Amino acid sequence: MYIAIAAAIAVLTGIGAGIGIGIATGKATEAIARQPEASGKINSALLLGCALAEATAIYGLVVALVLIFTQ
Amino acid sequence: MHDMQEIFNESAAGLDVFGLFTVSPYILVSWGIMLFLTVSSILLTRNLQRIPSKGQAMLEICIGSFNNFCKEHLGKPWRSFAPWLGTVALYVTFCNLVPLFGITPPTKSFSVVATLAALSAILIYSAQFRFLGFKKGLKKFATPSPLLLPINILEIFIRPLSLCMRLFGNVLASYIIMEMIHAVAPVVIPAFLQLYFDVFDGLIQSVVFIFLTTLFLSESMEEAHS
Repeated sequence: MYIAIAAAIAVLTGIGAGIGIGIATGKATEAIARQPEASGKINSALLLGCALAEATAIYGLVVALVLIFTQ
Repeated sequence: MHDMQEIFNESAAGLDVFGLFTVSPYILVSWGIMLFLTVSSILLTRNLQRIPSKGQAMLEICIGSFNNFCKEHLGKPWRSFAPWLGTVALYVTFCNLVPLFGITPPTKSFSVVATLAALSAILIYSAQFRFLGFKKGLKKFATPSPLLLPINILEIFIRPLSLCMRLFGNVLASYIIMEMIHAVAPVVIPAFLQLYFDVFDGLIQSVVFIFLTTLFLSESMEEAHS
């Protein structure tokens, strides 16, 4: 049972990634609304930022899966 | 959830070669993808004409836009990297799309993804020494300040680790979610979710993998400003 709780705690990393990606996407939308001609560059920067921010959530997920499946 | 234990079990079932060793199913699927890509490349480029046909025009647009992307991010030496990046992009994309046909994606295996990431790291750091020269390449590790030397050296390992973890984690997560959904509702519903998890997420992840490799490459080839 402790393993299940540990996995649940590990998956909490998703909160940070969610907030981070949400803020980044909101700002990117604002930026595109202000300057639609720069949308290409904004999109690529957003994609990169999201990929980097998402990494923490993925680490949490991998840790949780390792905890559950490799006892 | 009877097959959940098989998720981490890499040698679940495979091809037995004369009883000597087993070829894992991921390698088999990889070979299939490689065969498909090779044959389709040969067929598509067999009969090139000066005035392009419809198929050739499509092909030219695809390759032209990919070359433009490389030019934009890598600058002058783009030509040395475009073929490698394009090949990896195609391979990863097809690996991620393969679950549409009910096959386990090779990118779900940690060893396949780790190999790709290690190759990316070798490419990044060999480009640094190739295009900056040995001395400047070494000096690059001490920029922007010598204080950051340990962090830059750690980055040699962190970059490929994060590259492979990202791809592996995403593919594994979508695979597990799809398995669960298949167990709960085997018809109709998985189709829509598969569109999101396999097509959308798979394409995004392959784009991100190539994009990050390109960015690291362009960063490692930059001249130091000191």
